[in-house]
Amino acid sequence: MTATPITEPQSVTTLHERLLESERLLKETDSYAGLENLELRAADPLKYESMHTKLRSMVVSAREMARRISASPGVREVGESVVAIYTPEGDAIALSTGIMVHVHTASRFIKWMIQNGYEESPGIRPGDIFANNDAFIGTVQAPDVIITIPIFHEDELIGWVAAVAHELEVGGITPGGDVALSQERYTEGLMVCAEKVGYDDELRRDYLIRLERNLRMPIYWVLDDKAKVAACLEVRKQVRELIDEVGLDYYKRATKEFIEEGRRAQLARVRQLTVPGRYRGHTFFGHVTEGKQGVLPQGNRNWLYAIPMEMEVTRQGKLSLDFDGTNSWGYHSMNCTPAGMDGGMFVTLTQHMNFDGKVNDGAWLATDMNLPLGTWTNPDKETVATATSWALLLPAFGCFQRMLSRGFLGRGYKEEVFVGQVNSPMMEMGGESQYGGDFGIALFECAAAGSGALGIKDGLDTAYVGWNPESDMGNMEIWEQDMPMVYLGRTISPNSGGFGRYRGGSGFESLWAVTNTELLIPATSEHSSRVFDNAGMCGGYPAPTVQLHHSVKDAGIEQRAAERKPLPHSIGDNPYESDIERLTDGQTKIDEGPYLAEPLQSGDLFAHSYNGGGGYGDPLERDAGSIARDVANGYVTADAAENVYGVVVESNDNTSTVNAEATQSRRRNIHDERLANALPVSEWIEQTRSRVADGDFAPEVREMYRDSMELSPRFAGEFRNFWSLPSDYEIAKRSRR
Amino acid sequence: MTDTLLVDEDGRFAVGKASTTPQNESVGFLESAEDAAGYWDLTSQEAFEQLSVVLYSGTGMLNTLLSRTGRRVGLIVTRGMEDAILMGRGLQAWTDYSYPDRLHAVTHQAPEPLVPRHRIYGVTERIDQFGNVVAPVYEHEAEKAAEELVAQGVEAICVCCMFSYVDDTHERQITEIVQNVLNKRDVEVPIYRSSSVRPVIREQSRLNSVVIEAYAADVSREQLVGVEEATQSQGFRYGVQTVLSYGGLAGIRYPRLHETMISGPVGGILGAKYVGDIIGSDSVIVSDMGGTSFDISAITRGNIPIENEPTLARFKLNLPTISMESIGAGAGTIIKVDPLTKKVSLGPESAGSTPGPVAFDMGGTEPTVCDCDVIMGRLNPDYFLGGKVKLNVEAAKSVFKEKVADPLGVDVYEAAEGMANMLEMDAKESMRQMISARAVDPADYALMAYGGSGPLHMAEYSRGMGFKNILTFPFAAAFSAFGCTTADYLRRYSRSVQLTLPPNADAEHRNSVAEEINRIWEGLQEAATSEMGDEGHAPADVQLEMFAQMRYTGQLEDVEVPLAMQRITADSDLDLVIKEFDELYAAINGAVAQYREAGHSITELGIVAKVEKIKPKLVRETLQGETPLAEAFKGTRSMYYNREWHEAQLWEMDYLKPGNVVAGPAVVEHPATTLVIPAGDRVWVDEWTIVHYEHAEDSSESE
Repeated sequence: MTATPITEPQSVTTLHERLLESERLLKETDSYAGLENLELRAADPLKYESMHTKLRSMVVSAREMARRISASPGVREVGESVVAIYTPEGDAIALSTGIMVHVHTASRFIKWMIQNGYEESPGIRPGDIFANNDAFIGTVQAPDVIITIPIFHEDELIGWVAAVAHELEVGGITPGGDVALSQERYTEGLMVCAEKVGYDDELRRDYLIRLERNLRMPIYWVLDDKAKVAACLEVRKQVRELIDEVGLDYYKRATKEFIEEGRRAQLARVRQLTVPGRYRGHTFFGHVTEGKQGVLPQGNRNWLYAIPMEMEVTRQGKLSLDFDGTNSWGYHSMNCTPAGMDGGMFVTLTQHMNFDGKVNDGAWLATDMNLPLGTWTNPDKETVATATSWALLLPAFGCFQRMLSRGFLGRGYKEEVFVGQVNSPMMEMGGESQYGGDFGIALFECAAAGSGALGIKDGLDTAYVGWNPESDMGNMEIWEQDMPMVYLGRTISPNSGGFGRYRGGSGFESLWAVTNTELLIPATSEHSSRVFDNAGMCGGYPAPTVQLHHSVKDAGIEQRAAERKPLPHSIGDNPYESDIERLTDGQTKIDEGPYLAEPLQSGDLFAHSYNGGGGYGDPLERDAGSIARDVANGYVTADAAENVYGVVVESNDNTSTVNAEATQSRRRNIHDERLANALPVSEWIEQTRSRVADGDFAPEVREMYRDSMELSPRFAGEFRNFWSLPSDYEIAKRSRR
Repeated sequence: MTDTLLVDEDGRFAVGKASTTPQNESVGFLESAEDAAGYWDLTSQEAFEQLSVVLYSGTGMLNTLLSRTGRRVGLIVTRGMEDAILMGRGLQAWTDYSYPDRLHAVTHQAPEPLVPRHRIYGVTERIDQFGNVVAPVYEHEAEKAAEELVAQGVEAICVCCMFSYVDDTHERQITEIVQNVLNKRDVEVPIYRSSSVRPVIREQSRLNSVVIEAYAADVSREQLVGVEEATQSQGFRYGVQTVLSYGGLAGIRYPRLHETMISGPVGGILGAKYVGDIIGSDSVIVSDMGGTSFDISAITRGNIPIENEPTLARFKLNLPTISMESIGAGAGTIIKVDPLTKKVSLGPESAGSTPGPVAFDMGGTEPTVCDCDVIMGRLNPDYFLGGKVKLNVEAAKSVFKEKVADPLGVDVYEAAEGMANMLEMDAKESMRQMISARAVDPADYALMAYGGSGPLHMAEYSRGMGFKNILTFPFAAAFSAFGCTTADYLRRYSRSVQLTLPPNADAEHRNSVAEEINRIWEGLQEAATSEMGDEGHAPADVQLEMFAQMRYTGQLEDVEVPLAMQRITADSDLDLVIKEFDELYAAINGAVAQYREAGHSITELGIVAKVEKIKPKLVRETLQGETPLAEAFKGTRSMYYNREWHEAQLWEMDYLKPGNVVAGPAVVEHPATTLVIPAGDRVWVDEWTIVHYEHAEDSSESE
């Protein structure tokens, strides 16, 4: 059949006008491109499906192609990339698997160029290549470099193809991609702001020279850009072939229908899986940086973030998230832009309801977010740093997963319930490589943390991160090619999964000996401190995500090895004395929060831990046999088994068995202790109220509440109401001087 | 079932079948061999006495692995990596999943480990990427580990150390200590070193390889020996051979039997290469459509593609394997319509052979693509598997109507064709991606369609692709088995290296690289001739082809560059190696992705050692007339195609002769396969009895 052309008024000739027209149609008709009916789908659903399958298979295989070219273990080993096709106005039609975060980020980038007169200057012509890593234009953080090229059919721009990869080095104040120490954009590294970086299908040599001269490890970015361009060109070629096959009108109409269908499918999925209403969740994030080396004066403090969230689900299936009540942006690297917030939302939604392949900007249109201006979710100043925005995004969208899961549970979809994502702190480093030159890298093994538990089983151990469901940690032998350290161990962290009837997935920890370098600068990020940045569900415990760094100077490994003395291979499971302290000659230094401290060199040791996920259900209900297996496998220590789960496990001769009698009595004791310690909520509120009324808070807590109350009248009202405080209750601002 | 394909030197063959006997595979094998020999009026003894080669490939190893019924393996690793088995690669929790399930994280699940944590011991030792010793082997720990593994009654011990592919000294040292303990305790337990099983980078894959070898592969050797003894008791004079995942043959005493575990797709590729050589086509796309999957691969200019990191039962391996891409779409694929979104999906679930499609009347309740073929009259309800299975057309129709056609609001026949088209389109799309990934023109390729359902759907999945020619075979269902008989004795030997060739390298550096290349190649050559010699091949018969895995320095993925040279004899040979790489790389990834400024690295050097084996010869016959023999004609049947009914002529495949032409609408039937030819298209049989499919000129695209 022939497609009904989408009517565009005669006046619409430029991309900019088309974009405005598309926005008008959405606003006036409440459907994408004003489509009332999915005509092509109705006329021949199979032909329509077949075209969608083709588009998806193009982007999936183009992403594989990019993987082959990349030099970055991030892309090659752990899949930190995505490829997608867009309409001329910049709406995503089809995406590959990968970092689904970028469903809408490249979209913002394309729209930004259109809105900012790029048609006139620098011009958008066949063969042009544009790049961007500016989060305020459209990406999550500086290492997420997006390449996009326009697709022309004869003289008409009929779409875009974009590819994103997460770069492992961006040339910021600290090495790596998630530049831990950046406090403003000026220290975040090399910025490419919606720039035309190539023409005639080639990257400009002068652009590559800029990369080569401004990055610690240019090969990652350079080859990734080449990989992305190759992938985009391949998709462009195939889209043109597809248009030759189905006709331009069919292509244009069908792609718009895909988006409208994506919008409707999103609404339908929400209606199917959740219960309408308002859901609330709350999470926190503590960031200890006061007095750390290199921290600039304006950000020299500790940060505590409150992230209260409200999710509203309408009867129609529209899902909205409201961040009202959260805190201000700050002079640190954890701020986020609306593009990044989209990313967090989309990577989460695709894992729960948009996984059937029609995920595109339609889903974005069926959702909404309130990101109060001036908060970390939507800074009112475009010079703030966003290099480690995942620090706050992951807790926030983990909270979103738990709210969604309450909806699933309410609807009876227990198998969909997922306590979800946690932070997985990133280890980055630079300095002098084992080959002699400069280097810098983000060690992306963090892409395999533990997941939260599910409603029907334990969480995934060392195999999940929220930002990329195709999670992986890569091979140690590969990572060692790119850093002057050798693994002394990569080990499951005991008790790292939140306790629960279904245990949260475990995280792991790595311990390295520094070798073959005189200068190794580690910098780590996205560590929560002092508060839980995640939670359990239905009685499950949060995961203990407050990780500490262990470093040892002159650890004496060589000498100890020569004498056949035991070496440390992990932090160990003794909370009072780590294996690192016990089994090295040097002084062990323990750092809280991000590691921003003295560089290391050959002979030193360094340890870093990734997180497990939250638990589901009461740990006392966990099957005792599963605990015995957990103890045997090192997921749970015998101590925790007994004291948290109430399960007495006896281990000898390579077997771990449950002492049933002792377990029964231990569980009864715990139960009794709980009752003995419990008090009615009203009593607890009464006891605590006076502290609140007197403003008796730790300084960070005080500042957190003060800031929330100042930014959000609603938060302030609810806070006063909850604690029965007078209407003039305020928390005074502390002087910064 | 155990199938025996008996092939004579003229390429004629007979297929025998018998039930598989898992306890002792040789029993089922002999029975099926006897069945095959019976077609030629031979006793089993008479057949075996005349045979030159016996190839045997069983699924025992894979079943052992899948059912987790392998050996009690003990494992010794570099201390600090004892959790590597439990952790696995994160990607093993989702690898091989469908697109939706890759995203739908709650479906992810890591494979069940093969070795329990309490049988894994760490021994302090460490070698770095340069081969420097960071920590020596703690002998006392190795000894203690061995003692405890003995006490635990292990049946095999694996040793896997970090960077043992660079330097295997520590693995050898540990092995020696373990062996001493075994001797002292008078225990016989085989020891497997990762550096001897797969000496290449990536410890997780190397670990999986060595563990699977010990757990599932080597333990199945007994079955292979049993088969060999059975053949010899029947008068066979030689050793039985088995098929390696990269397409070579190896005797059953071959030390790395896990290399035979992904041999399924190998036969088809080898058969295609063999037939391609006969018909003068060095680029071939092979397509194998069976009950559960559609497998494709491409031979490009004579090169068989190798995948170095395949997954086996969801374990990532380091095993060179003929690269086959598979989509979960075959005749048995279940068709689903999402009640909410009305989105149609094919699979990945398959009805398998039990209960099978609805039409089989064996309890299947979910509509499959096979049911569509039945509904459309493309499959003969009375001649499926030669009539052994009667197809219930009405049952298929009513289930299909209820579960697919009605929810979509489409006529049942139209919907059935739509589903078949979706399968064909998926198949076509996967071929298109494969061709595109190689950046070559489809007009350079011949397409070979085989597998039980290949000829049934080839008309559409090959339409409009622009292949040079499109072929199928009367024995399409047995093509893979046929292909195995065309294999040569062939081994790959390789070693990971770290050699760099910066753009401005001086003569001294280049010279040292050349020397290193020659040193490694010579070592591999010696190993090859010696191992091939052990199997009775004369050194003079061993042909060697060198290859290098190369990349731009800093990249993480290699391109395997086949090299005509046997050694580096002059500095200009290095330039030639680089040139070969640059060209191949650009062909695969596009010139825009080249980065010569970064310099070149060689990460692995290898050789392929080959000894030719006697092969069946396809028989060339003189062409006869275009009209088939009268006895080939079986009448007519109504067949739905392109949304209308046609009266299709029915032909018996085995009676078609070289030169015959059959024009659509027609169906050519064979007990094991069905070739569908819509109106306008036609097939003709060439002098090798290969069936050539020709689309109507004006139907380059359907609709």
